[in-house]
Amino acid sequence: MSSETKQILTTDGIPLEASLKKAERKNKIKAFLLVAPLLLFLLITYIFPIGDMLMRSVDDKMVTEMLPKTFKSMEKWNGNEMPPEEVFKSFYLDFQKLVEEKRDGKLSTQLNYTKNGFKSILKKLRRKAKNFEEGNYKEQIMAVHKRWADIEYWLAIKRRAPAYTSSKYLKGIDMYKNEEGKIVNVEEDRRIHRILWLRTLEIAFFVTLLCFLMAYPIAHLLATLPMKYSNLLMICVLLPFWTSLLVRTASWMILLQQQGVVNDFFVMIGLVADDNRPEMMYNKTGTYVAMTQILLPFMVLPLYSVMKTISPSLMRAGKSLGGTPFVTFWKVYFPLTIPGIGAGCLLVFILAIGYYITPALVGGASGTLISNQIAFHMKSTLDWSFASAMGLMLLAGVLAIYWIYNKLVGIDNIKLG
Amino acid sequence: MKKLSKLLLVLSFALSISTSSFAVTVASWGGAYTESQKLGYGDPTAKKLGVPINWVDYSGGLSEIKAQKEAGKITWDIIDVFAMDTITGCDEGLFVEFDFDKDFPAAPDGTAASKDFFAPMPSKCAVGNILYSWNYAYNTNNVKGTPKTIKDFFNTKKFPGKRAIYKSALTNLEIALAADGIKPGKGGAKIYKALETEKGVNRAMNKIKELCTDPNGGCVFWSAGAQPPELLVSGEVVMATGWNGRFFNAEIGEGAPIKQVWDGQGLDYEYFVLVKGGPNEADAKKALAEMTSTEGLAGSAKYIAYAPWRKSSLKVMAKGEPWYKDGKTNMVPQMPTAPANTKNYFLVDPLFWADNGTELGEKWEAMKAGL
Repeated sequence: MSSETKQILTTDGIPLEASLKKAERKNKIKAFLLVAPLLLFLLITYIFPIGDMLMRSVDDKMVTEMLPKTFKSMEKWNGNEMPPEEVFKSFYLDFQKLVEEKRDGKLSTQLNYTKNGFKSILKKLRRKAKNFEEGNYKEQIMAVHKRWADIEYWLAIKRRAPAYTSSKYLKGIDMYKNEEGKIVNVEEDRRIHRILWLRTLEIAFFVTLLCFLMAYPIAHLLATLPMKYSNLLMICVLLPFWTSLLVRTASWMILLQQQGVVNDFFVMIGLVADDNRPEMMYNKTGTYVAMTQILLPFMVLPLYSVMKTISPSLMRAGKSLGGTPFVTFWKVYFPLTIPGIGAGCLLVFILAIGYYITPALVGGASGTLISNQIAFHMKSTLDWSFASAMGLMLLAGVLAIYWIYNKLVGIDNIKLG
Repeated sequence: MKKLSKLLLVLSFALSISTSSFAVTVASWGGAYTESQKLGYGDPTAKKLGVPINWVDYSGGLSEIKAQKEAGKITWDIIDVFAMDTITGCDEGLFVEFDFDKDFPAAPDGTAASKDFFAPMPSKCAVGNILYSWNYAYNTNNVKGTPKTIKDFFNTKKFPGKRAIYKSALTNLEIALAADGIKPGKGGAKIYKALETEKGVNRAMNKIKELCTDPNGGCVFWSAGAQPPELLVSGEVVMATGWNGRFFNAEIGEGAPIKQVWDGQGLDYEYFVLVKGGPNEADAKKALAEMTSTEGLAGSAKYIAYAPWRKSSLKVMAKGEPWYKDGKTNMVPQMPTAPANTKNYFLVDPLFWADNGTELGEKWEAMKAGL
């Protein structure tokens, strides 16, 4: 009784606390409603597709459901010699059912991902299987094509038995799980993905470094020059930014090719001989030059925005305290620009790691990057689960770099403008 | 005001329904190629059937149509695709299967459609559109002498200078073996037989590697069809493999100093497929039959140097020479299927590449990485 009387009431007789909460709740709902579209947008365009990709990359139920009898009879088969008649028979029955349902094409696509060469032999089997006689399926199937008598192909089928699989991720780093369940490397002349990962990382790293080395002085100039000059300089930085990516890449091709403008100039001033023009394109040099130029604004802008906020009096103070220009720069100015460096480097690195049009056009034999491979599997082989797996691996790589950055510099120390 | 806007809404809705169920949408590669299709048989067919035909550009591959299907909203009726894609798409159940003799008109002389095609279709879902060639060309100003054979393409002693080749394994392995002395046989059967074996693949890879690492040679890899003539004209390379229509355009259309060599050429095909469950399947089927008729296919060869799939179309062209739109160039000798050009050739085998494309692609990239 006494506690109730102590409660402060509003004029409508509701306890103040409840009334305040109510008002706050309203605000909270309002605030949430304001954010809701963005949240929904992120959910639909980002979280959901990534979840879907994750599912696709491990889901292997389709094949499991297509060959139920085969996988059941394969459980007893040890994989050392050709499978017994029972396996052939159940495979035949499963396959005939798929042919009736017109789903055998899907099976052949799927099995061809695991081992190349399935497409044609399944087509041949479909044609021949119409005239099969009852019994002794092993001999009949093996007579269709010599690959059916090759144990490798049956092992490949067995590998597709589990409903969920990590094989796509292993394939992304040139490995696979063999029959004993051990994870081993694929044959040497087919190890391509590791080369591509390393090449992608290498190009992204050096492009970031080059961008940083070139952008830092430019950004410093921009931040310290008087307004009328810095505006002009700013336009020079932004102008290429507004030009289409392909146009810029094509211009570099015109400039850098062996019969191109730069080489012509070198020959004209007598720097190189006419029949010994250096190759500046269709190799890594071309990739670095073009990508650095294209990504430069992404480094300049965050650096500039940070440098603009650094008061010139700090440098003067440093000097008046006896520091040489270099020491003042290194101890005072540079640490203050780290948030901009972090933002710029992360931005350029992440953009560079997913780049592929420019390297494909100017990079020559070394112009294939991991994103080209993803596009290849998206568009040509339609192996979307493998493409998803590689896409997620790329995402994981970017997140790892983000994490390292957070550990080293701290993510609060980032400033985009 | 409100009434007006409602009326407009209803009208626009009705219009969108009527156009979508009325027009036929064809997805193709764009550029001069789509232009030739539109002028050659698209517009005449649209006029004849009274059904508008919309041409949209796409960049190849089946990912878009697969995504459209998965999203439940298919917007394309007909797609212009590579042979490999007709096989994959047919297997995936994306396209309609044909009964060729029933669904497509016979030739003027009464030959059934399936007999009139240059070669059998790779899948039941494909109907041939054009044949194009992966041949090679050289810059007449930069090459001393006249390269005549596919061996000359690899002969850096006689013809020093860089070569441009396609970025993927497709057709490169074939020409490597043809240049290494394997006779293609009928339609290139012997080449593909060799490529079925590991030895054959290695032999082809080594031949390419040899060319690319040769100090007198060297390789530039092209990815877009416009690149080979461009690389030749700019002097960046002395010889380049490429698509004959592009070389033709540069040579005849623009008067560039390049010349084509047909020895060891790879004949490749372009097909139309009919999308299963497309917005206007019935009309699209009719339009497709009309477009791929003898007259229809001959029409497109007026604008581009790709050969029609029907043998009877060539007769129509021969009668109408000079067939090219400029009114003075004979088109039949420019066709990849012309007898003079098919003395030594192979047919690019879509089934082989559908089977082995991924694995050979990996080996190819690994080889390129070691250059």
